[in-house]
Amino acid sequence: MVTRRDFIKAGLLTVAGMAIPISALEMFKPEAMASLVRSFSEKKRWAFVVDTNKCVGCGMCAKACKLENEIPFDADVQRTWVERYIQLKDGDVVIDSPKGARLGFTSNDPYGHEIKDEEITKEFFVPKLCNQCEKPSCVQVCPAGATYKTEDGVSLVDRSWCIGCGYCITNCPYYARFFNPVTNTADKCTFCYHRITKGKNTACIDACAFGVRKIGYINDPKSEVFKIISTQRVAVLKPEYGNEPHVFYLGLDHIVR
Amino acid sequence: MKMSHAWRPVILVVGAAVFLLIFRTIYVPSDFTAKNGDYKYQWHSLRDEKYWMDYPVKHMGQEFCGQCHPDKVEKITASGHQKVQCESCHAMTSKPATKHPVDLKEDFKYLLEIGVDSSRELCKRCHAKLPYRPAEYSESSKGTVKFKMIDPKIHNAGIECVTCHDVHTAGFK
Ligand code: SF4
Ligand code: SF4
Repeated sequence: MVTRRDFIKAGLLTVAGMAIPISALEMFKPEAMASLVRSFSEKKRWAFVVDTNKCVGCGMCAKACKLENEIPFDADVQRTWVERYIQLKDGDVVIDSPKGARLGFTSNDPYGHEIKDEEITKEFFVPKLCNQCEKPSCVQVCPAGATYKTEDGVSLVDRSWCIGCGYCITNCPYYARFFNPVTNTADKCTFCYHRITKGKNTACIDACAFGVRKIGYINDPKSEVFKIISTQRVAVLKPEYGNEPHVFYLGLDHIVR
Repeated sequence: MKMSHAWRPVILVVGAAVFLLIFRTIYVPSDFTAKNGDYKYQWHSLRDEKYWMDYPVKHMGQEFCGQCHPDKVEKITASGHQKVQCESCHAMTSKPATKHPVDLKEDFKYLLEIGVDSSRELCKRCHAKLPYRPAEYSESSKGTVKFKMIDPKIHNAGIECVTCHDVHTAGFK
């Protein structure tokens, strides 16, 4: 027998539960339904290419990014940064990124110690930035609905809705997010959304004199990014997370993480 | 006829559901939407897309600076430094920034406070000899060339690079 008390409890619980997926009511809008069947390949989708073979670690990209996006220069947070990888003969791997490389790499002194040439088997730089994932875990975990993916594939943070809980920062497998000490919200690379939507390159691409970075539509046969991704051997970081990252690397190595 | 006692809890639950729907309609701003019905990733306020699109563009590069300084840009684009952008040295200065005399548009405000960073440290960011650096430079219009690197400990230590080198021609003074 269902008592009145049980019924009210179960009923209110159901209603409370409905509160979570209730936004799905909008699904009944005909335009929302129609878009579900529209082919996805027609959509423009931004993607990035990083050619690690060419990077010299000057960090001009990291500097330009900070100025462009008004991230306080001396704060130890970066939207894009450059990592140095050194594989030693004894099997160890040394990885560092002093100040996110915004002052560049000017000497051979990872963590203050010089590493002799004869101890090294290989060494290189790897620039990093937000991977603008197809399935961004940062967006999935946001309890405030503050971070989202645009139609063309860029994840952004709504600064007026972010409550600063930091879930997204801990849930990005690429450590691409940080806490912005000025806006007091989560912050991350936007692929310079204000520039790419005006037909310009990102600030980091403009600042790089070495042609390391490229941006374009992944499904536009005319874009350089499309040409590289479809004809050369590219790799993405940490594919095991299933995020479907859209920053593609040339010359990636297994020691990179 | 007296209402069955079973109806009252039903009305309560239905009422709660209706209240929730009304509350949602009022509370969720009208510009919140999920494009393509993708509620997992695209549920957001459209206004915010505009916020990011309207963010001011600051890094302008040679093309912009060349409008007033065509001589400098001509020089540098003909040199080995052809792909080095103005802001690499002319922003975030080591010397105190000077007020730029031109009244630029609102968008380019940050360029108003510019000077020049002619420090040895800045040059070292590209030209210090490090084992990690590729030995060749392929971005030059002259094709692949040897990338010029020096050992800063041996190469005229303590002297500013600009004493002998001209950055705009990538040669000697
Ligand atoms: S790289 Fe991190 S911050 Fe960027 S979209 Fe993916 S999960 Fe989000
Ligand atoms: S810090 Fe902001 S954007 Fe990140 S999960 Fe929390 S509310 Fe969302």
